[in-house]
Amino acid sequence: MIGAALDLAGRVAARVAVLAAVAFLLVPLLVACLMSFDDRSFLGPFPPRDFSLRWYRAFLDNPAYTDGLFVSLQLGVIAAAIATAVGLAAALALADPRLPGREAMEAAFLSPKFIPTVVIGFSLLVFTARLGIYEPMTRLILGHVVITLPFTLRAVAASLIGVKRSQVEAAMSLGASEFRALWDVAVPAARSGIVAGAAMAFVLSFDEVAVSLFLSDAFTQTLPIALVAEMRANLNLTIAAVSTVFLAATVVLLVLLDRTIGIERLAGDVGARG
Amino acid sequence: MRRIPVALWLAAPGLLLLLALMGGPVVLLVLESLKPFVPGSIRPGEGVTLGNYTELLAPAYLFYFQETFRFGIIVAGLSVLFGAPLAFAAVRSRSALLRKLLLALLVGLLVMSLIARLYAIEMAWGSLGPLAPLGALTGIAPRSPRYAEVQVAIGLLHFTMPVVALMLVGTFRALPPRLEEAAASLGARRSDVVVSVVLPLAAPGLVSAFLVALAMCISNFVVPLILGRGIVTLATSLMYTRFADIGNYPSGAAIGVVMLVLAFAVVYGLSALARRVLPGARL
Amino acid sequence: MSITLGRRELVGALGAAMAAAGGGPVFAQPRGEQLLVVMWGAQWIEVCRPIGEEWMRRTGDRIQWELHAGGAMAVVGRLRPIWPRIQQNLIAAWDPVFDAMMEAGWMEPVDEDEMPALKEIPDIFFKKDAQGRKMTVPLSTAGAFWGYRTDLVDRPVESVEQLLEPRFRGKLCVPVPVNLSGLLLVSLAMQRGGNERNIEPGWQLLTELARRGNIGRVVANNSEMISAMSAGDLSVAFWNTGGWQAVRDRFPSRLLTRLTDNKGFLFNEGFAVMKGENRARIAAAKRFANHFATAEINTRYNMPLGSGPTNRSATASPAIADIFYRPDELDRFAYIPDYAYMATQVDGWTRRWEQEITPLIRRA
Repeated sequence: MIGAALDLAGRVAARVAVLAAVAFLLVPLLVACLMSFDDRSFLGPFPPRDFSLRWYRAFLDNPAYTDGLFVSLQLGVIAAAIATAVGLAAALALADPRLPGREAMEAAFLSPKFIPTVVIGFSLLVFTARLGIYEPMTRLILGHVVITLPFTLRAVAASLIGVKRSQVEAAMSLGASEFRALWDVAVPAARSGIVAGAAMAFVLSFDEVAVSLFLSDAFTQTLPIALVAEMRANLNLTIAAVSTVFLAATVVLLVLLDRTIGIERLAGDVGARG
Repeated sequence: MRRIPVALWLAAPGLLLLLALMGGPVVLLVLESLKPFVPGSIRPGEGVTLGNYTELLAPAYLFYFQETFRFGIIVAGLSVLFGAPLAFAAVRSRSALLRKLLLALLVGLLVMSLIARLYAIEMAWGSLGPLAPLGALTGIAPRSPRYAEVQVAIGLLHFTMPVVALMLVGTFRALPPRLEEAAASLGARRSDVVVSVVLPLAAPGLVSAFLVALAMCISNFVVPLILGRGIVTLATSLMYTRFADIGNYPSGAAIGVVMLVLAFAVVYGLSALARRVLPGARL
Repeated sequence: MSITLGRRELVGALGAAMAAAGGGPVFAQPRGEQLLVVMWGAQWIEVCRPIGEEWMRRTGDRIQWELHAGGAMAVVGRLRPIWPRIQQNLIAAWDPVFDAMMEAGWMEPVDEDEMPALKEIPDIFFKKDAQGRKMTVPLSTAGAFWGYRTDLVDRPVESVEQLLEPRFRGKLCVPVPVNLSGLLLVSLAMQRGGNERNIEPGWQLLTELARRGNIGRVVANNSEMISAMSAGDLSVAFWNTGGWQAVRDRFPSRLLTRLTDNKGFLFNEGFAVMKGENRARIAAAKRFANHFATAEINTRYNMPLGSGPTNRSATASPAIADIFYRPDELDRFAYIPDYAYMATQVDGWTRRWEQEITPLIRRA
C-alpha cells in the first residue's frame, strides 16, 4: 500500500519535474516573442499594451546582423570542416591501442574544453598579433577550430567504439595499406559520428561569443558579436525581435532536420558527444 | 630504421595544431602575467613580477573564485536534477510524439543563440517580467540588487540544461531496455525500476553530465555580463574587465592562468574521484 | 548660422542629385574612402547614423560605425595589442581618453586649413600637444551630475548626504569605476572635503552607501543606465548628460546641477583623428569630422544628447538651460577635475572597487 503511494508520488514528481523543465526552457522565449511586438521605446513592464513592428524594422534596417549572419555561416562551415577532418584523424589514431602515450594524448586533445574561452580568445589575439596574422577571418577560424576540435574528436571516437581492430587488420592482411584499410573499414563505420561531430562543431562555432569577441574586428563580426555589440551599446527590444526570428528559424530547421535525418537520430548523435 | 606508426601520422595534425594554437598562446599568457603594469600608460612595463598573482590572494578575489564555483556547483546540480527526468521522458515516454517534441526542444535550444536566450530571460525573469513573482520564491525580492544572483543562476541553468539533457539522452539510450523489462516482469513498480536499475547504471553518465555543466558554468562569461547587473562578478568577468575595460593585460593574464589551473584541477580531480567511486565515469 | 560647402562636397552633392534624378545605379558614384568611426550607442548613434548616411550620399565615402562597448577608455585597451595596425579612423572620446591616446602618440594633429569649421570653435576647447598643435575635434560640452526621477522620490533631494537615507535602499544607479573615469568617486570625495587627488573620503562615503544596501545597480554604459532608470526599480543616478537626456525625455527628472555642498562636472567630447598609413583616408576622416564641427551639424548632433555645442554659431537646445551655467555660476557649481591624472588612477580604482565595494553590495 505504502509502496503504491510512493510509486505514485515518484511518478507525479517526475512528471512535474519534466513539465517544470520544459516550461523553464520555453517560457522566456515566448515572453520575448510577445515583447518583440511592443510599441514602447524602452523595456517596460510586461505585457505590452500597444503593438507595432518597429523592432522588426530596426532589425532589418541594421546591416550588422545580416553581415554577421554571413560571417558566422562561413566561419561555422570552414571551422567545422577543418575540426572534423583533424578530429577524425586523431580519433582514428587514438583508436589504435599501439599508439605510444595514448592516454596523455587523449587528455591533450580534450583539454581545450576546460580552458575558459575568454583565455583562449585573449591569448590567441596576442599570439596571432605576434605572428603578424591580422586577417580576422583567419584568426577566427584558428580560434574556432581549437574550441570545436574536442567535440568532433569525441563524436568520432564514440562511433568508432564498435569497430574492431581485427577488422582493420583483416583488410591489411588482404594487401591494403594501413591508411587504405582505415579508410575502407573504419571511416565508413564512423560516418554517423563524423556527421554528428561536424554538426556539433558548426553549432558551437555559430553560437560562440568569448573567442570571437577578441578575434573579430569592426568589418568582420560574427552574428553573436554583432548582437552583443549592438545590445550592450544600445539595449532595446530589437533583441526580442531577433530572438523571435531565431525561434522561427529554429523551428523550420528542426522540421527540415526531422524530415531528412530524423530528430531521434540527430539527438542521439549529438547527445553522445559528452 | 623503425617505421613511424600510421597512428602517429594521424595524430600529428591535431597535436601540431594544439601545440601551435593552444600551447603557444598559453606560454605567451604566462609570460604576459609576469609583466608589471604601468597605470595610465598604454605601453607595458619592464622586468618580471609576481605581483599580479599575489594580488589575487586578497580575500575579495578568493571570494570571487569561491562564488564562481558555488554558482557552478549549484547550477550543475539543478541541471542534472531537472535534465535527467527530461532526458528520461525523451527516451522512454510511451508517446512517440512527446519523445520527438522533447528532443526537438533540446536540439532547438542548442541551435538558438545564447545571447538572444539571455535577453529573453531578462525580459521574462527581470523585475518587470511576468516570472518575477516566481523568482521571488528564492527569498530575494526581484527589485533588490541581489536578485542579480538569481538571474545569473537562471541564465546558467538555461545554458547548461539542454546540453546536460542531451548527454543524458545518450546515456539512457545506451541502457539496455531489457533489464528494465525484466525487472518489471518480475513485478517491480516503475519507480522501483528507475531507482534500483536505471539510476545505478546511469550514474557514470550523470556524473559526466554534472562535470560538463560545471565546466560550462566556470568558463562562461556572457551570462554575468548580460544578467549580472554589474553586481555578480565571476572569475571570467574579472578577467574580461581587465582585458577589455582597463587594458591591464598582465593582471588579466594572471587571472587567466589561475582559472586555467583551477579548472583543470577541479575537473580532472573530480573526474578521477568519480572514476574511483563509479568505474566507467568519464568526461 | 553659416553652412560652408566645399568644392568636393558640392561635386558630391551634384553627383548624388543627378544619380537620384536619373535613378542611376550606385556604382556610378565616385568611389570614396571607407571610414571606420567609433561612436557611443543609444542616442549618440541614433543621431549620427542619418548624418552619416547623408554624408555618404553626398561624398561617396563609406562610413562604417563601430560602437563603444563600455566607456570610451575600453577602446584604448582593445587597440593596444594590434597598434599600429588599427582600422579605426575616427574615435569619439572625451577628456581622459584623449589624454591617454595623446600620451600613446596615436592621434593625428588637426588644423584649420584642412578643417575650416575648427575656426568657429573657441580655442579653449582644444587639446594641444607639446608643440601647441590642435589634437582633438571638440563637438560638445557635456557634464556628469547626480539626479533623480521626481515621480519616484517623495521628498526632494538637496544634498548627496541624503542618499544615505534608508528610503534609497537599492535605489541608486552608479557607474563602474572605469566609466566616466571615476567621476563618481571624485564627486563622493568632494562631498566629504576631498577631490580627485584626495580620493580617500570618496571611498569612505561609497563604502557607507554600499554597506547600507543603497546601491541597486552598477552600469557600464549609456544604454544600461537608460534602461535601468526606465525600469522603475531605481530612482537616483550619477551619470552623464546624454544618458540623463534620454531619461528626461521619458520621465519627470531633476538634475542636481546646483548643489551647495557639491559640484557638477564638465568635460568635452569630440573626435580623435587616428594616425594611419593611408593619407587619403585620413583626409577623408578629417573632412567627416569637420562636417560634425560645422554649426548646422553641431547643433543637430548635440540636441538629443542634451549637451552644449562647441561651434560659436550653433544653437543649444532650450531644454538644457538648467544644466548649463552662467559665467558667474561656473565657480560656485561646477568643477573640472584633472582628467589626465584620473586616467592614470582608473586601474587602481577598479581593483579597489572589486576588492571592497562589490562584495559589500552583494552582502548588503
